[in-house]
Amino acid sequence: MLNPLQDGARQSPYEKMLQECLRGELRVVNAGLPKSQKRLSDVLNEEHPHVVCSDGSTHFFKKSELAYLTSILSTEEQQALPLPMLIELGANQAEAAIMCEGKVEEKVISKTLSMPVACEERRIRIYRPQLALLRKKFKTTTVYVFSPRIIV
Amino acid sequence: MPELIKVRPTKIELVKLKRRLSLAQRVQKIVKDRLSILTMEFLQTARDTVEAKSKLLDQASQAYKALSVAAGYHGYIAMEKELVASETELKVTAGLRNIAGVRFPSFELTDARKPMKGYSLVDTSSWLDRAAELSEEYLTAIVELAELQRSFELLAMEINRTKRITNALEYVIIPRLHATISYLNMKFEERDREEKARLKRVKVLVARE
Repeated sequence: MLNPLQDGARQSPYEKMLQECLRGELRVVNAGLPKSQKRLSDVLNEEHPHVVCSDGSTHFFKKSELAYLTSILSTEEQQALPLPMLIELGANQAEAAIMCEGKVEEKVISKTLSMPVACEERRIRIYRPQLALLRKKFKTTTVYVFSPRIIV
Repeated sequence: MPELIKVRPTKIELVKLKRRLSLAQRVQKIVKDRLSILTMEFLQTARDTVEAKSKLLDQASQAYKALSVAAGYHGYIAMEKELVASETELKVTAGLRNIAGVRFPSFELTDARKPMKGYSLVDTSSWLDRAAELSEEYLTAIVELAELQRSFELLAMEINRTKRITNALEYVIIPRLHATISYLNMKFEERDREEKARLKRVKVLVARE
């Protein structure tokens, strides 16, 4: 067996690369988060609706999804809905939480899933199968957030 | 037994290794979560792709049928004359969307309804309108399928990459770190025991004198 103590103390290039790779993974997972969210009413006025992500890239919204949101929300609610909606993935693998500011997200989620949902501690908790349904409907208007509780 | 990492047997190295282990475990948690999300998206995209493909084939056959009927009604030359005037460039808005750190293309046909309506409505029949309408739907379905297929490919590649990272962490990196940490711990314990034995021996020699 290799005796690690007889060899040099320096970290091998492979090890260094590995460490960099791991740190890179941490950076990558939340790189697609928007710098700031936009209101639905503002996004509707844009020719190419999009938000700028934290890594400088752009995240485009589909007009069909925006049209669906417009159809289910009133004008006041459109001014209140921040986009993209953030889906937080916590330590519990079976659940996900939609971060919400008010009642408008609750309405959108409950209409989409056709079931009542409750907002507790600014989070709407849903299960993975429901998450798949939600993502099917809102491919571009929702983004994943890897919770700092897992990262740190 | 996993291979050991080449380090000096010092306490500082042990602390460094423990830090690396905690980083690796954190990354493993995130990567696993990411993998499950990507897999979920992959399955959804696969389902959507199959659905979009069958829809595309249906629409293609309907559009060709409608076009044949319109051609039969107007005659090829008259219909071609009308359609030449309606030729316009298609506008597809291409952007990016981000899923768990992966960028996917997003295509959308802009003004899909407009380009096909360039012909004279007076000289043509509703058969041509129907054919044009179905062709528009067909074009939209093509763009939709293009996006889904590219996303499908990208997701598959990303899942492969993430799986390799997860496996490397689970079966190589973390076991190596564990093994090296326990090796160093054993080494330090051994040193302590040697030190104690040496002290006892010295004590005995001092007592004899």
